[in-house]
Amino acid sequence: MTALLHAAPRGVLFLRAELGKLGAFLRRDFLIAWSYRLAFVSEWAGLALQAVTFYFVGKMIDPSVLPAYGGSPATYMEFVAIGIAMTAFVQLALSRVGHGLRGEQVQGTLESLLMTPTSPTTIQLGTVFYDVLYIPLRTAVFLVLVGLAFGLDFHTDGFVPALVVLFAFIPFVWGLGVANAGFLLTFRRGGGAAALLFTMLALFSGAFFPLDLLPGWLQGAAELNPIAIAIEGMREPLLGGTGWEGVGSDLLVLLPLSIVSLAAGLLVFRAALRRERRRGSLGLY
Amino acid sequence: MHAAETMEDLEQADRAPAAVEMREITRSFAGRRALAGVSLAVRPGEIHALLGPNGAGKTTLLRVLGGLIEPDSGSVRVLGTDATQNTRAQRRAVGLVPSGDRSFYLRISGLENLRFFARLHGLGAGAAKQRALDVLAAVELEHVAGVPVGEYSHGMQKRLSVARALLTDSRILLVDEATHDLDPHAARVVRELVQRLARDGAAVLWATQRIDEIRGLAENVTVLRAGEVAYSGSVVRLGGRVRVQRHVLRLQHRRTLEAPPLATVRALLGSLGSVEPAQDDPELVVLTLADAATLGAALATLIAEEIDILSCREVQSEIEEAFVQLTGA
Repeated sequence: MTALLHAAPRGVLFLRAELGKLGAFLRRDFLIAWSYRLAFVSEWAGLALQAVTFYFVGKMIDPSVLPAYGGSPATYMEFVAIGIAMTAFVQLALSRVGHGLRGEQVQGTLESLLMTPTSPTTIQLGTVFYDVLYIPLRTAVFLVLVGLAFGLDFHTDGFVPALVVLFAFIPFVWGLGVANAGFLLTFRRGGGAAALLFTMLALFSGAFFPLDLLPGWLQGAAELNPIAIAIEGMREPLLGGTGWEGVGSDLLVLLPLSIVSLAAGLLVFRAALRRERRRGSLGLY
Repeated sequence: MHAAETMEDLEQADRAPAAVEMREITRSFAGRRALAGVSLAVRPGEIHALLGPNGAGKTTLLRVLGGLIEPDSGSVRVLGTDATQNTRAQRRAVGLVPSGDRSFYLRISGLENLRFFARLHGLGAGAAKQRALDVLAAVELEHVAGVPVGEYSHGMQKRLSVARALLTDSRILLVDEATHDLDPHAARVVRELVQRLARDGAAVLWATQRIDEIRGLAENVTVLRAGEVAYSGSVVRLGGRVRVQRHVLRLQHRRTLEAPPLATVRALLGSLGSVEPAQDDPELVVLTLADAATLGAALATLIAEEIDILSCREVQSEIEEAFVQLTGA
């Protein structure tokens, strides 16, 4: 009992110290991102151009082939805007989380980080913390701007449920990204596998076209795709105005998937780190 | 060098338990042996040199101590605890000055880099900034505190590495080729900073391949050759292992005030040794002593014949001679 009483404050102190370090990572990565102002601007410009492209593509598409949300039909632009936002979110998160520590390895800073009294989990989280906050924010801002620019009819009372779906989905993507980071740490050039996985998940996610267009057997498989579940979970409240009712079942599926994905990702990553330490190849790239 | 000033301090330092202790460490990479049965100990306040040619295993040994590589066998103890555990307390105690430039974020300033690492060492935001400013001043980089590290010269980046090690008053400092390509002033600044840390009680392991660097800096030295310990002991004793036979002399005849003819010098020395003109300066001669001869006897012979010795230096220092003999470098 006494041991427990002593252990608790130590644990709290440790947690507080480690959380404080996340702030340091956040500041560092903001300063680094800010030093690449042109890349920052071009990333947003690229996203806007993609939206414009789909706006014109949307003019050719018959809205009757699109699914109805909350009983009301959606335009293609409304349909695809959420798809673009979510696939861009997944792609960016997978890539940046995966390459976060790989970047440290290539820059030569990984060993300096590992020499500090910081837990490997904090280092892993720290290297992607800026992106974990920035990418969902970017997704939300993108949806708002596209909504305003193209006069899309989003239900404002659907924003909070949609954001909750997005946040429930973050650990899933993060887990994949962390696992990808582990593979990159081990195989150095494992980026291709992550890109292939993303392409497959995005293709069968219903981001750009309704899943109804797929052959029956593929449709069943695509409906189990977590990206598809998250996208539909966001479309329901935003396009159909279904509020919390529309997202309940999606959250029930997404949350356990997210927990499993994150836990598995962290395990893979820690195993990769241990392996590199044993092999003495942490600094090699 | 010991921080100790008095005999009592010296005795205490000798009795102090080793801050770093390695026993029979072996480590191979893909079948290539990098360390083979290496043992060494460094006490608090001591600068221990790790000398060896390229590929001798110096960096591997430092990385084992830093917890970045696990040894295949043997034991490593840092401040009395098993270093392979790689605990936070151990990482807090050990500072590393790496050999390369690539250990900082080049897009952000030196101050921001140090603030970041200070935070990771557990300092609060305000304390981290103040500490970063203090150590930047200590390494004479305060004037470039706000400049991105990518714009620093190599020497400045090296000083920044030392500054990072100073952030937390490391009790163990691992220095890997810290001054090998610095200008003399920058090298001296780095050496003085490390000596100051040692005076404050840090155990320093200083890896280098520059023999001249360890004289006057380290008390003890471990010489590595192909991953094995070729010598371990005091720097003084290392020098004493060899007899320097070749010396460069500048001679002048007392009456003519000119360099004496080579034939005359040869005739005077007889069986004591041979002389050849130095390659780079015709005013100098290289004296090679015979096995049984001493430098004193040779010089006394010349002086007795009115040939003054204006200068005399070893072609290679005794430490260099020992290094070459031990490592074959």
